Amino acid sequence: MTPRIRLFTKVFVVVLVAGVFYGLAAHKHTQREQIRQTRVALTPACAEKLSRYALAAGEQYRSPYVLKQTGGTVTLRGYSEEDVRAIQRGCNIISDTQGRLAKDVSRERWNTTRFIRGTHLECDHCHQSIGDKQDANGNRLKGSLNLGTSWVMADMYDRFTGLLLPFELRQMQCYINSSNGYKPNISDDLIRDVTAYSRFLSAALDLKIGNHYEEQGIDEIAASATEKQGDDYVRGEALFKGKCMHCHGRQAFGREVNGQLIAPAIAGPNAWNMQSRNYFHYVSTILPGFICRNMPLGQENTLTNQECRDIAFYLSNLPRPAGDRQGPLIALKQQVLMTAIPPLMRLTESARDTGITVQAAQQHNQ
Amino acid sequence: MNRSTPSGLKPVNRARFSILEMASRASTLLSAVGLGAFVVLAHFASASVFRSEVMAESGWQTFRAQYQIDYFGTDGQFVRAIQNGYNLVFHTHKYAPRFTRRGPADQVNSCSGCHTVEDLAYAFVNSDRFDPKVQKRVSFEERVQRCYIGSLDGFAPTIYDPAVRDIRLLARAVAHELHLTEGAMRKAR
Repeated sequence: MTPRIRLFTKVFVVVLVAGVFYGLAAHKHTQREQIRQTRVALTPACAEKLSRYALAAGEQYRSPYVLKQTGGTVTLRGYSEEDVRAIQRGCNIISDTQGRLAKDVSRERWNTTRFIRGTHLECDHCHQSIGDKQDANGNRLKGSLNLGTSWVMADMYDRFTGLLLPFELRQMQCYINSSNGYKPNISDDLIRDVTAYSRFLSAALDLKIGNHYEEQGIDEIAASATEKQGDDYVRGEALFKGKCMHCHGRQAFGREVNGQLIAPAIAGPNAWNMQSRNYFHYVSTILPGFICRNMPLGQENTLTNQECRDIAFYLSNLPRPAGDRQGPLIALKQQVLMTAIPPLMRLTESARDTGITVQAAQQHNQ
Repeated sequence: MNRSTPSGLKPVNRARFSILEMASRASTLLSAVGLGAFVVLAHFASASVFRSEVMAESGWQTFRAQYQIDYFGTDGQFVRAIQNGYNLVFHTHKYAPRFTRRGPADQVNSCSGCHTVEDLAYAFVNSDRFDPKVQKRVSFEERVQRCYIGSLDGFAPTIYDPAVRDIRLLARAVAHELHLTEGAMRKAR
């Protein structure tokens, strides 16, 4: 082959690859546009939430929530059909991030599972009630990670990253750390639809831009808010076994029955990673705050501050994936621990259980 | 293997081959040098773009008092970003010269030539909505980018650039002072 033919071959291959890439990108672009125009099949939770907030296309929007809570009405700009579909898709993403209720995750959830490594975690696990947790009287709950309040307080200085953190970048962090995955592009529909839903929530709840509301973020629990007995692994383990193990499993690796997720992993390969703000050794105030305000389900606010810190401390000593700042050696170590510890723990516990049974039998015989 | 060719052709082919080879090596070297230069340039040039020091322009103190900026603190990253947003809006040609061809001599050379800060606040709370003209949902940042390209006859900064971000933050601060909710509509003036 002469050099000229070789050169032409190289150019041809480059042009061909570029052409195929362009064709594929154009096809995906068209496909996305079709999805944006498609009617949205809501999850049951979203159907209930959005109908309660009277989301519909129209010139004006008046929130029934505001009417109920204050007796007055606030008239806001209405939504177009396209805006309504974006809000509905955003709600679906929060409510069913893993797409368990979707027929086609790539079309109905913008391929969310591509950005999450585990099979358990969903936005709704932390941002409960689709990011808008309320009591029976419709009062929003303190430290409930409300997404509407997060939107009105976005762009503020973030002490963990040292950035003026936009709402979109915060979502990316959730995908990277809390979901132990990968970040979508800032302009990806996945991000934009969740923003649209959060903005709708702030309109429905009549939240003012820049105001701080107590349902925003976590009601953090510092050691200074306890009796300062010290965060105790042993107490934490006992509390975990009494209060959490029933749902989250013996080793906190989550519980699935017949493909149905009963409770998500809070340790192990399906849990958040070591760079997440939920990781006690990274930020020691957030997970205790979440536990106290949201757990156990149905018995919220029953644990003391110290108990919540003890459980959080115990959980963070269980193996979990390394974050993007820990480096490959720590990542490898965590992988080994996640593989080796569960069978070892099972072995130890069965030995201990056998010992206890034998001891009880001996006592019974005496 | 005998690689010899009929005499007469051999020197020509070798010469052609060596020229192509040299060109290929030179282009590789140039690409590497260009890439390295870009990295060095991006590193040092970004220091001036993402600086936290802000110049106090005329009218800032009045604006600060009028829109209660001190609610967010007397100083800090957020307040400085708002101040940079103020400079960008009122002195665009001076603070975003990379993104506008307008100069001091032009009649309209800043965002404030067309918009008040309250316009920006209302635009902010009504952004991320479907625009029938372009048949897509348009964010506040995209709208600002379009202003740089169109009204200011320039170029679009990226969404992350402070030339866009700080205008959003200014709009957010003003929206706070006006007690605006998402989707708030402006009463007819």
